Amino acid sequence: MVPPEWYLLLAAGVFCIGLFGVLTRNDALYFLMSVELMMNAANINFVAFALYYGDLTGQVFALFVIALAAAEVAIGIGIILVLYRNFGDIDVTVPTEMRW
Amino acid sequence: MVNAFAYVPAVVLLPFVSFLVALGAGRYLPKGGAFGGIAATAGSFLLSVWVAATVAGGRAYNETVYTWAGGDQFELTFGLLVDPLSALMLVIVTLVALLVHVFSLGYMNDEGETGLPRYYAGLGLFTASMLGFVVADNLLMAFMFFELVGLCSYLLIGFHFREPGPPSAAKKAFLVTRFGDYFFLVGVVAVFATFGTAAFAGDGSFPALAEAALEGSADVWTPGGLELGTWLTVVGLLVLGGVVGKSAQFPLHTWLPDAMEGPTPVSALIHAATMVAAGVYLVARMYGFYALTPTTLGVIAFIGGFTALFAATMGVVKDELKQVLAYSTISQYGYMMLALGAGGYVAAVFHLTTHAFFKALLFLGAGSVIIAMHHNEDMWDMGGLKSKLPVTYYTFLAGSLALAGIFPFAGFWSKDEVLYEALVHGLNDPLLLGGYLMGLLAVPVTAFYTFRMVFLTFHGDPRTETARDPEPVRWNVKGPLMVLGTLAVGTGLINMVPVQKVFGLEGIDYLHRWLDNEWGGIAGLSSHHYADIGPYSSGYLVGGETGTVLVGAAVSLGLALAGLGLAWRFYNVASPTEHTAALGGIKDVLYNNYYLDELQVWIAYRTADIAGGADTFDQGIIDGVVNGISSVSLAGGGRIRRIQTGVVSEYAAMLTLGLIALLVVLGVGGGWFL
Repeated sequence: MVPPEWYLLLAAGVFCIGLFGVLTRNDALYFLMSVELMMNAANINFVAFALYYGDLTGQVFALFVIALAAAEVAIGIGIILVLYRNFGDIDVTVPTEMRW
Repeated sequence: MVNAFAYVPAVVLLPFVSFLVALGAGRYLPKGGAFGGIAATAGSFLLSVWVAATVAGGRAYNETVYTWAGGDQFELTFGLLVDPLSALMLVIVTLVALLVHVFSLGYMNDEGETGLPRYYAGLGLFTASMLGFVVADNLLMAFMFFELVGLCSYLLIGFHFREPGPPSAAKKAFLVTRFGDYFFLVGVVAVFATFGTAAFAGDGSFPALAEAALEGSADVWTPGGLELGTWLTVVGLLVLGGVVGKSAQFPLHTWLPDAMEGPTPVSALIHAATMVAAGVYLVARMYGFYALTPTTLGVIAFIGGFTALFAATMGVVKDELKQVLAYSTISQYGYMMLALGAGGYVAAVFHLTTHAFFKALLFLGAGSVIIAMHHNEDMWDMGGLKSKLPVTYYTFLAGSLALAGIFPFAGFWSKDEVLYEALVHGLNDPLLLGGYLMGLLAVPVTAFYTFRMVFLTFHGDPRTETARDPEPVRWNVKGPLMVLGTLAVGTGLINMVPVQKVFGLEGIDYLHRWLDNEWGGIAGLSSHHYADIGPYSSGYLVGGETGTVLVGAAVSLGLALAGLGLAWRFYNVASPTEHTAALGGIKDVLYNNYYLDELQVWIAYRTADIAGGADTFDQGIIDGVVNGISSVSLAGGGRIRRIQTGVVSEYAAMLTLGLIALLVVLGVGGGWFL
């Protein structure tokens, strides 16, 4: 059996890739995908600990998170569409109206 | 039988209705609403006489009419208290008000004044408030009407508001009396806090409670465990503040001479016969309370005696007819205060009565002279009016003899009794004796300035063209003068105590018997009761009581005649000259009223300086702190809001940095790195 440290390292790596994407990319679609990565990192942790403790709760949570991610993508894509209609671009640094 | 007491509210309300009528419809009525006022005061007068007759029939009235605020601690009410004292005062006020209304026809209407509805409305409201004050059954109600009286005084003094003098005098009168009334108001609150009631009469009234508490049979609140006697003295002195302001006693007398800027009938009604009487009446009304505090009585007596002398000396040098009368008014109210302080309750009420008549007479007489002189009030422009204005002259002379205290005019009897009371009670009390001596010293001064005024105005040769051919006056001026002249001569008959004591004629001291509830009244409000609880014992000079009466009367009459003689010698000549120059520097001091006005202005300015300092502190320190905090938050907010860039990536970076910071803090706190 693979020891849980490996799972955690994998999850941390995936999370950091997602975070890197969020911080460096300006394109909204990349944003959305990076957020998905970060969520899946959390999913890996859930499943890993479920396996480690022999408890199904973590796996059920992972299923919920997947459903939630689907919903989130729907809303995210909607936001990106509106962004494109209003600014003719999906660069997230362009709309800065909501500032001081 | 119809009960007269049911009509007591009408006594107050009739002039109030005339106020409303004059105010609302005065311009459509003939004479600017004068007849409404005359009818209302005549009605009030007749009702008052009826009420007085009912009181004489052995009944009195003390009822709460309306409770306008009630609570567990105490109730605030309007009520009526009709006893011999207030019945007498009702008759005096309504009679003088009636005569003044009639006189106003001559002084205001015939002289073509404008704004008459306002004038008659003011007179009506004044009469109503004064009557409300007189019948008030508790201190708070008395205070309210006291203030209304002050307001009317303001309105009427400032009647000629287009000229510079009257509005300023009105403001002065209002502010100076208000200064005293602050103390009065605090006193009212203190009475409520101490006794839980402000009623004047009855078992649960505050004088009765104070008496019981001093005997130890009742418990009242005192602040901070202060000794009861001391606290009662403080309360008495607080209420006295209002009295000193309203009755124009030293040092708050300065408003009254200025108040002569008002129309002369107003001076007669307000500043001689009734409003100024309110202060003295208030002390008489709650005399059961004052009699319990010897210190307060001593203060009252001393202030009174001092004011009597002090004001009289200023009257000596004045050039204007009404100014002389103004100072004589202050001086005479000083006598009343002296009497009250000396335990001479009846003497004070007696002098109040006679003074109301003879001073109203003198003011109306002065008004008549002023009409004749085309509104020139300077006595040095008059002279020789005796033959031109015989009715005015003889009535004015009667009033002057009364004022000077010459036998057998009304003022002699009352002033003599005032001085007698002060003397017999003062032989054991230095403060009282001081008051008596000052009062006695004021007698020749009074006689001197009174007859200086009479001689300058009516005797000698006419000194101006106007005085040679004065304008005649009509019935509406002469009528009130004759009524008051008769009263000034005869009012002394109601209380000839010296005659009774010397000749042993029992029962001719009607006023004594009247105020002693002999015909009826309310228990605890009789002169006998006051004498019982009062602190004074009598001492006599040589010859016992009769001897003291005779010596006292002879001395005061002798002094009055001496003053009169001096005035005769100086001013009863064909063309008199000012002898005041002989006084040297004193003349300037007297002429400038001992520079008291300047002193008060100085005090006012110093107070303004202190207020300015407080203002600087408030603006600089208090507001500075508040403003500083707000500018710091504003500036800080202005800087910090710059982090809201609106760029999503930067928010994400912030979140990440926050997360890292949180992890580091948790890590360091949790000891991960050790």
